[in-house]
Amino acid sequence: MVDRTADDGTPEWQSPMVDVSGLSLAEIAAQAGDSVLAESIRRLAADLAEPGEPIAGFNSAL
Amino acid sequence: MRTFRLSDAEFAALAAGRPTAATLGELRKAQLSRHLLLLREIGTVPAWYAGPDARHRLADPMTALHTAATLVARRAGSAPPPEHNSSARILTATHLGRTLRVRLEDTDPLRARLGLDPADPLDDAAAAAWQHHLEGAWRLLVERHRAAAETVAAVLSVIVPVHPDPGAGGISATSADAYGAVALSAPADATSLAVGLLHETQHSILNAVRVLFDLVRPSTELGYSPWRADPRPPFGILHGAYAYLAVTRFWRGEAARSASGETARSGDELASDDLGMGGHSQLAAFEFARWRAAVVEAADGLLASAVLTAAGRRFAGALRDEVLGWLDEPVPPVIGRLAAGANTEHRVRWRLENLTVEPATVATLVAAWRSGAAPPAVPAAAVRPATGRALERSDRLRLVHDLLRSERDQSLPPGSGVRPGTDAQLGENHRTGASAYLKNADARYLQGDHDGALAGYLAGLEEFPAEIALWAGVALTSPYRMVRERPELVRAVWRTLGVELRTVANWWQ
Repeated sequence: MVDRTADDGTPEWQSPMVDVSGLSLAEIAAQAGDSVLAESIRRLAADLAEPGEPIAGFNSAL
Repeated sequence: MRTFRLSDAEFAALAAGRPTAATLGELRKAQLSRHLLLLREIGTVPAWYAGPDARHRLADPMTALHTAATLVARRAGSAPPPEHNSSARILTATHLGRTLRVRLEDTDPLRARLGLDPADPLDDAAAAAWQHHLEGAWRLLVERHRAAAETVAAVLSVIVPVHPDPGAGGISATSADAYGAVALSAPADATSLAVGLLHETQHSILNAVRVLFDLVRPSTELGYSPWRADPRPPFGILHGAYAYLAVTRFWRGEAARSASGETARSGDELASDDLGMGGHSQLAAFEFARWRAAVVEAADGLLASAVLTAAGRRFAGALRDEVLGWLDEPVPPVIGRLAAGANTEHRVRWRLENLTVEPATVATLVAAWRSGAAPPAVPAAAVRPATGRALERSDRLRLVHDLLRSERDQSLPPGSGVRPGTDAQLGENHRTGASAYLKNADARYLQGDHDGALAGYLAGLEEFPAEIALWAGVALTSPYRMVRERPELVRAVWRTLGVELRTVANWWQ
């Protein structure tokens, strides 16, 4: 069921989301042609275009 | 460039509500990445990005919310959101060396985007009340639910006070655009706040998981959620199950602690009155028994559908497996009966309020009845379009809670006595014309006198056939399987035939 096997043989789940957490905006801009980066942006854009409702609820027993 | 990945063991532990610190670190990095990529899409570098606290602002949920709102507005050609006006109210709670630090956000103009009506800026007394309850909640979590406390501290950074819902004990919300921010109505006590924080932290985590992995396929399908009165999309149902996984674990711990007779220690003593618990061990057992079954039911429903992706199936499966082992843990029989009843009532109410039986289906069943045939198989009823958020409201549930809270009143032990309450204390159902029937029948139901209660509910339905509380009462106390499983069918056929409900319900037995 997992979508890939890691180098050490253990099963793992690989996200299409790229890790740019350590980069600056300028560094990200310099990677503009990267296909993984482009896919991540496409996913985020799609989510923003069809936002779900804020998840609200909780009716405390107390 | 590196993409995020989780080992299957890490992913399953995350789904089971036991994320490792490393996994939470990955989710945080994913949120930072999301924020940076949204800023890149906007194309204009905000002024704060050049400041000394840029990394802090990148991780701030309200800044991320502002960035997302700015991008959406830009793409829509509309005006950008108003600028930040962040609150300076910082709440800090430290216990046994663990610290929870959050901003009480009562000024940011975007705080309404968490989905609830925000409270006005707080005065000092209101802020002090939040601080007091946060300290109590944090003590409770750190002392009794250490792993959950660590998760809350790693995720939560902003609380947005919101106006309460007059019909609910407490309301709360999260937004996928604001990881680590929760909107909460003012808590009644420390326990309510602890449960609310656990609940909403789970929503934030699941929103972050969704950034990394598609768990649910695109679908317009709506279905039953044990926590909401309105029809919900699959991801909403998964959200409920994931949030209540943490809530169930909390009450499991509280119930076990009560059952073992463990008492608070001197020095670190958690005074029950401070927590708002009042020694309510039976209430803890009830919440545990109720929500463990609801979580499994919701996960089972998702797993039986075709809406989950491979990752979604793994996630829902691990979530379900975590709770499945709790189903066999003993609770007092009267508590188990009332908890199962609360779930049955919720499901029956939901079906009666949200499902529509096609006239052709009713005609088929009525024709079969009149010809003396056995009831034929008929299509599932259609779900009415969603009409907006609706929370559970049940006067009978309120009576159950009152009964469980009264456990120290020796005149009112559960199952042997109940004080039904005055009309002024009862809710909307009990103030309708059906109130006399409900008042007496509900008292019998709480006492465990199902035959007596059923007679009252059936008599009430003869006079008030549309009263859903009476239908739910019949489902709780009768042997009629179809009234519990497909009450909308029984109601539709009964109304058409005009014969005794017992006779129609027996037809399906």
